[in-house]
Amino acid sequence: MIAEMREVLQAALGGEISEPVLLAGGASKEAWAVDVDGEPLLVRRAASSVIHRHTLSLENEFAVLQAAHAAGVKVPKPLQYISDLAGREAFVMERLEGETIGRRVVRREELAAARERLPVQMADELAKIHAIPTAHVPFLYEAKLERMVEELDEVGEPHPAIELGLWWLRENRPPPRESVVVHGDYRIGNLVVGESGLVGVLDWEFTHLDDPARDLAFALVRAWRFGVPEKRLGGIGPVEPYLERYNELTGFGVQPEELDYWELAGNVGWAIGCLTQMQRHLTGQDRSVELAILGRLGVEVEYEIVNLLERFAG
Amino acid sequence: MSERPTAQELTEAILEFLGGEILPTLTDPRLRFRTLVAMNALSIVHRELAALAVEDDAELRELAAAIRAGDVPPGTLRRVKADVEARLRIASPAFLESYR
Repeated sequence: MIAEMREVLQAALGGEISEPVLLAGGASKEAWAVDVDGEPLLVRRAASSVIHRHTLSLENEFAVLQAAHAAGVKVPKPLQYISDLAGREAFVMERLEGETIGRRVVRREELAAARERLPVQMADELAKIHAIPTAHVPFLYEAKLERMVEELDEVGEPHPAIELGLWWLRENRPPPRESVVVHGDYRIGNLVVGESGLVGVLDWEFTHLDDPARDLAFALVRAWRFGVPEKRLGGIGPVEPYLERYNELTGFGVQPEELDYWELAGNVGWAIGCLTQMQRHLTGQDRSVELAILGRLGVEVEYEIVNLLERFAG
Repeated sequence: MSERPTAQELTEAILEFLGGEILPTLTDPRLRFRTLVAMNALSIVHRELAALAVEDDAELRELAAAIRAGDVPPGTLRRVKADVEARLRIASPAFLESYR
């Protein structure tokens, strides 16, 4: 298969192609490192299974990456979409240097200065993302909050904490904002971080149209603080400079209470996500201990949900 | 309290992992033998769990359905939190302990 991949890449890109090396991680997509004429590239290719049915095809994800790149967002430069790379769709992009493992981004000593800069830099990039003209990505759909309920019902297990979260979200919905292009998974772990801070935004498969405040709050979810819970913005820093900078650039005037609301929504979404991942194992779609155990670890997220609700209740 | 994956579903997943991914990589005969013995022990647990009665989750289902219907009387949050804590003590006690 590797020889076949190399041949197709050769035909698509030209130049001297190194042997593709499969990188670790990525449940729904494969990542292959390959050098073309010494230039480091990354091939993102479909894996056998799909993590989530509401994800973009690689063809659309490539188009989103192109639109983001054209809008000046820091992303790996998109190079080429390939509809059939040894039997699956794929695209080729620049391979950025830096740290992408969330746990290391929040801890590594040499990234201390980067963490200082990240809140403002994350706001800079998100403001640019939310300004991408929807006409450039006409295939994107609008995501409704109600979709979470459908997903929970598909699992069919009783989870009162999640129900309580959904109930509170229904009762306390802030006035809706006009939908914009959102990343959909904007958090530490999906960013490339170097010693000077944010190098690039990755993983655009959840991009859709939505309330910008929802996207802004996603990085606050406790599970994405990677063991540094006292730093509310992704385990790297405080929220205030992030929110301030974002509002300064967009003029949206997002309020702290809206962040609270959407932080809870992010937790509810991830609690349900843990269950749907578990279902992939239980239904035999994708057997693995990692997916199975998420069904149990989701209770950590449920605990966060009830604690947030307690706090909101004062 | 019902919980998925059940304990039996978890032992099954671990057995599949050991048999499918670990065992084929073991070349040391002694380690191979000891792994087979460990898998056998886990199989005993697996079968023993099968003999346990399925726990009744009717009360939990009722509570979930009531909240869905908007029936959230005072004290609901406290009750739900107690249930979550009980499950957390099994699934992730260290998380519960360090939560702040």
